[in-house]
Amino acid sequence: MSIGGLWIMLGAYGAGAAVSILGSRWGNATRVLGHVALLIGALAGLALAIQRLTGGALQTAIHVELPHLFPFANLVLTLDGLSAFFLLVVSIVTIAAAIYGPAYLKAHSGSSPAVEVLGINIFVASMALVLCAGDAMTFLLAWEGMTLASYVLVVSEGKKSNTRAGLIYMIMAHAGTALLMVVFLTLAVHAGSFDFAAMRTAAAALSGTERSVLFFLALVGLGAKAGIVPLHIWLPQAHPAAPSHASALMSGVMLKVAIYGILRLGLDLLAPATGPLPPSWGWIVLVLGAISAIIGVLYALQQHDLKRLLAFHSVENVGIILMGVGMAMLLTHRGGAADALAALGLAAALLHTLNHAAFKGLLFLCAGVVQTATHILNMEELGGLARRMPWTAWLFLIGAVAISALPPLNGFVSEWMTFQTLILASAYLRSGSGLVVIAVAAALALTGGLAAACFVKAFGVTFLGRPRSTHAAEAVEGAPSMLAGMVLLATVCVMIGIMPGYAMVLLDSPVMRLLGGVGPSQLITARGPLVLLASANPGTGTAVSMTAAAVLFGAVALVAWGIVVWPRALARRREPTWTCGMAPQSRFDYTATAFAKPLRFIFALLYQPKRTVRKKTGSTPYVLSQLHWQSDVVDLALVHFYNHVQAGVTRVANAIRQRSTGRIHDYIGFVLITLLVTLLVFGRG
Amino acid sequence: MSLELATHLIDIIGAFLLITMIIILEAGDLYRAIYTMAVQSIFIALAGAVLGAATHNTDLWVIAGLTLVVKVLVLPWLLLRVIHRMRIHHKIDPLIPVTTTLAIAAAIVMLAFYLSSSLVLLKQVITGNALPIGIALMLIGILVMMSRRTALMQMVGLFAAENGIFFTAMAISQGMPLIIEIGVTLDVILAALVMGVIILRVKSSIGSDIADLDELKG
Repeated sequence: MSIGGLWIMLGAYGAGAAVSILGSRWGNATRVLGHVALLIGALAGLALAIQRLTGGALQTAIHVELPHLFPFANLVLTLDGLSAFFLLVVSIVTIAAAIYGPAYLKAHSGSSPAVEVLGINIFVASMALVLCAGDAMTFLLAWEGMTLASYVLVVSEGKKSNTRAGLIYMIMAHAGTALLMVVFLTLAVHAGSFDFAAMRTAAAALSGTERSVLFFLALVGLGAKAGIVPLHIWLPQAHPAAPSHASALMSGVMLKVAIYGILRLGLDLLAPATGPLPPSWGWIVLVLGAISAIIGVLYALQQHDLKRLLAFHSVENVGIILMGVGMAMLLTHRGGAADALAALGLAAALLHTLNHAAFKGLLFLCAGVVQTATHILNMEELGGLARRMPWTAWLFLIGAVAISALPPLNGFVSEWMTFQTLILASAYLRSGSGLVVIAVAAALALTGGLAAACFVKAFGVTFLGRPRSTHAAEAVEGAPSMLAGMVLLATVCVMIGIMPGYAMVLLDSPVMRLLGGVGPSQLITARGPLVLLASANPGTGTAVSMTAAAVLFGAVALVAWGIVVWPRALARRREPTWTCGMAPQSRFDYTATAFAKPLRFIFALLYQPKRTVRKKTGSTPYVLSQLHWQSDVVDLALVHFYNHVQAGVTRVANAIRQRSTGRIHDYIGFVLITLLVTLLVFGRG
Repeated sequence: MSLELATHLIDIIGAFLLITMIIILEAGDLYRAIYTMAVQSIFIALAGAVLGAATHNTDLWVIAGLTLVVKVLVLPWLLLRVIHRMRIHHKIDPLIPVTTTLAIAAAIVMLAFYLSSSLVLLKQVITGNALPIGIALMLIGILVMMSRRTALMQMVGLFAAENGIFFTAMAISQGMPLIIEIGVTLDVILAALVMGVIILRVKSSIGSDIADLDELKG
């Protein structure tokens, strides 16, 4: 089954891509068949991953040789526990996207969905191939395929702003890939082969400095894809530009493929054969994670475009995942309680990977329904959608609660585990380093709170109140198939939330593959589906019962409802809100900008807000006839780094243009002279 | 076929390749250059066939056939068609005088042979002197591109340089893997098509040659 499953998955994605040849003439057939193939491929991937993950932690990896295409490298697929877990993440979101996609594309791309169908099938297939790659060549090829296919999805709508977003994405992604190539080629030179197995052996002989240099190069290269601050600038531009189910995949899954790369290189390929990793790796990953989490959520707070806001939250969640990864890198192979804490941290990171994929996928799909219904993504022009689109509103609420890390949903479970790791680790490390870890824990807590504030804003301004535009007032609920895809992801969020015990089993195989030692299901005692207990030494530690939390939540909600409703039932009077004698309008509602204003003040140092107010008065200065108010915040990385880089590149390019002759023969002459000089210098041996 | 015979034949073919290259370089007439390039490609195909027969490598036979079809028939036909469509005069006007380019070419050939003495490690016994000849062909091909004004002549130079690369690959590793060779061949056809279209378009819309494009520089 295993190898067959792999071929079924890849074959289905390939068939889906091939269907796009039907093109615009049979637009409906292309759309439906392309997504059916995507669904089949994802189901095969899911079956494969679950079979691999539940089949015992220490079974050998599945190994498949691909056709021999290059004289210098064998192409190999290897599916071990870590690959299987990430394949699970990819497959779950892809299933939802495949169910959701046809109706969405019908509304958006009209009669020619060929580009989108081709792009999304190749995109998902490339991600699966990156995860299953057993050698550097396959990894890099699939990695490039992933970038190119997602670029096609970003620019598929053909708007000018999307083209620019795509360009920035392309530059960042290729810069990252260049660094990755340096790392892999260096390893390949040492190993004499592109195989991961040979690289692992060769890396054992590297010196400490070489090892660290390679890791940090890889971290920057992969970080550009994962959206680690300050490499995040492409993300909030590119993710919203793609079709919504593709955004869900890019934001929910593609970033995780980069996380997979960090884990694969940091904890597997580049790790020393014995003993702990260099401490600098763990600390830097940890601190980068904390910075990404806080910066991501703070910028998200100031966004008024629903999909941009969600994209910034991906930066935040990648940060949270990296906190867990950093702890695992810091503590692994240090013996005793540290090993157990490392396993706990990695388990938290992996679980958050899965959770974030589920709730971020869900939220992007909800945003897609809003976009389909209203053709607007700017929250300021929405409002009151809950009445017209109750299903979408409830599903968005589930996603919002999950991403805000509130019990009893899945976001809470993994953030709580990360939190436990940080607190237990600070007690274990003590002194100065313990304090840093506590500061990171505080950052995590702050992130959770700010995320909750952000989603109160996003949900409240979009779905509650009155509609602020005719589009919002005339919105209709999304198609049943779209809702079905969203319900699927919401179910995953709820299930992992109230029954985390079953999810722990899935984490055993990847964690034991990377760290050895004990699996998280021994560390995190999840008594049946009921209680979650995390500890470095079995028997002690803190526990939280998710079911109890759920029941408690329900009870509190019931009591609150009772308090609100019961007395009113006695003497009920319906009156409009008193508004100083004016008729209430939708303009009276809280806007997104207004809601985020206090935080704009508090974090003014970061946002550097600019405000322009233009007043026009009538006959007397006391009567305003017109008021224009505009407020902008800046992205510090953009202003202080990228803009300078861009200006520099433009200057150099201009200088070259001024000095070049434009004659084609001169350029060919340069080529000839370069070849001759190269031959003379290097050819004499 | 015995290996000694193969080596001998490849050396002879190498000599012919070099001669055809010199003829391309000194040609004053586009037709002559194109026909010579076709003849040169026949020699390349022959070399591939000889090596294939000697080493029993069937891939080389396929590559030789491919060369015969693409470089001997399709590409010259394309080039002649472009000349026909453009109704241009088929005199080549050199940017650098022919005598100077011939002197440079002689220097390049000497340099290639001089360098190849230090590249002994790379070359195979069976292909004899193919390595320096391949390098020389490639460099002279680029010299043709550089020193001749008409765009068509640059295409001829490019294909001649491509022949040189093929011969070099044969000297080093008995030819490139089939898949790469097929890819390169497709590239060459595509390049020819694109360049042909551009030449025709530029000619028909602004009435001048590619060489005058430097006037566009901003």
